[in-house]
Amino acid sequence: MNRTLIAGAVALSGALTLSLSAPAMANDADVIKRGSCTGASDWKLKASPQNGRIEVEGEVDSNVNGQTWRWRLRHNGRLSARGVAVTKPPSGSFDVRRLMVDAPGTDRIGWRARNPQTGEVCRGSLRF
Amino acid sequence: MSPTSQQARAARPGRRRPVVQFVAVGLVLASVLAVLTGWFSQRAARQEAVSDAESTTELLARTVVVPALASGSLVTTAAELDRFDRLIRRRLRGADVLRVKVWDASGTIVYSDEPRLIGQQFELGEEQQRVLAAGGTDAEVSDLSRSENVYERPLGRVLEVYTRVSGPDGEPLMFELYYSYDDVAVRTGRVRGAFLPIAVGGILIFLVVTVPLVWLLARRLDEASSERERLLLAAAQASDAERRRIARDLHDGVVQDLAGTSFALSASARDVAGSGALDRGQLRKGLESAASGVRHSLRSLRSLLVEIYPPDLSGPGLPAALDDLLAPAVANGVQVSVDVADTSQMSDAAAGLVWRTAQECVRNALRHGEPHALRLTVTLLPADAAGGRARARLEVADDGVGFDPDAPSDGHHFGLRGLRDLATEAGGTLQVSAAPGRGTAVVLEVPA
Repeated sequence: MNRTLIAGAVALSGALTLSLSAPAMANDADVIKRGSCTGASDWKLKASPQNGRIEVEGEVDSNVNGQTWRWRLRHNGRLSARGVAVTKPPSGSFDVRRLMVDAPGTDRIGWRARNPQTGEVCRGSLRF
Repeated sequence: MSPTSQQARAARPGRRRPVVQFVAVGLVLASVLAVLTGWFSQRAARQEAVSDAESTTELLARTVVVPALASGSLVTTAAELDRFDRLIRRRLRGADVLRVKVWDASGTIVYSDEPRLIGQQFELGEEQQRVLAAGGTDAEVSDLSRSENVYERPLGRVLEVYTRVSGPDGEPLMFELYYSYDDVAVRTGRVRGAFLPIAVGGILIFLVVTVPLVWLLARRLDEASSERERLLLAAAQASDAERRRIARDLHDGVVQDLAGTSFALSASARDVAGSGALDRGQLRKGLESAASGVRHSLRSLRSLLVEIYPPDLSGPGLPAALDDLLAPAVANGVQVSVDVADTSQMSDAAAGLVWRTAQECVRNALRHGEPHALRLTVTLLPADAAGGRARARLEVADDGVGFDPDAPSDGHHFGLRGLRDLATEAGGTLQVSAAPGRGTAVVLEVPA
């Protein structure tokens, strides 16, 4: 019985992990990635085509309102945008949206957010 | 309808025609001005729009592009391009800019808000090369057939303005902005709206003000023309009447006299050629009678000549001419009284008018008046104290049957009417005093 429960929990956890880290396609052209931060928070990174550009949306969900996070977006390894955001109710999350130029070839987009108070770090990337 | 109203109606089109022509010319002028104003408005509006677009482009280049370029390389990385793109689009929001392009000297578009253009290379035009090489700003209507403008074709007619800026390492770059050409049309309408009322309105107001004046002028000219026609008609009728009178005078006078003389001479000739005894006394008497008839005919012809062609009236000519004028009256047994002052100071025009008036009056008296006495007086009235000119005064009075001056004219009194017109034109007056059975008096006064 206990072995069965543990095996089931592991399987469910693995399935959740796979579902969170695997790319998910909202539209045909959208690219979405999700993942867990170093603490209890989760992150999401989404890229969508937008009139010849890439609309990038980064999100952190900590379930705690009022947390201050420093975030960065990288494009092909270089800093494209950065800023500071505060989690807001009702979900205790924040998100940022930026347009990037669709460079020739595959674009590598990185997302990093850090809570200076807790030291928690969220990090993810995708290819578009 | 009376002849007068018919004449007036017939005269109206002639009066209306110059007014219509004036209005037509004015309207054509207003139309031409409207077209010219539109053309100049479009030109001025285009220059203003281009100038504004150039100023805007230079301002954006100086305040947005140059500082952005100075902070780093423009196209080294995609991330830097992102930042430049966001900055440019944020700063140009609301600036009526349809397209942004940044070129390098090789003709490569290193940045555009149309991402598909970034990295593409095109051949630069002469003006663009000149701006890249020498600096400055230039503008032109975009040639949408060129390949670098393929994405601007859906925008319609656009105005492109380009200016040189310096890249991060000082390399020359060309900053190019595209504006809608609709702005030129809007400005054209605005400029035309400002100037058209001034240009065309001025002409229309001028027309409104001057048309009544032209109408009055045309009416005066028309009236003067009618008066001239009336005088010409009167002159022609007078001339016709004069010819008929001369013919009648010749027929009733000289021709009859000469015919009688001819018969008398023929009778004398038959007597001379006859076989009977020649009565010299009878022959002499017949010849003397014929000579008297010829002399009478000569006098009559001389009087007629004087009437047909006025003699020299200057100096002492006028009194002599008046004497000749009265010879037929004397011959008809009318008691004639002549009193002519010194007319040596009288102008030729005044003397001529005095003589013509006297001629008409004597002729009328003998023809219609059946007078027993005829009095002709010419005096010179000195200049008055008010500075008026000296005046010549002629009075011709008879004791004939007279007439009613207020009675309707039988259409044969053109002479006196024409003389009154002549007197009025000369600045004088002509007065006729008459009554049935109480004779006629005509007084002429004209500047001497």
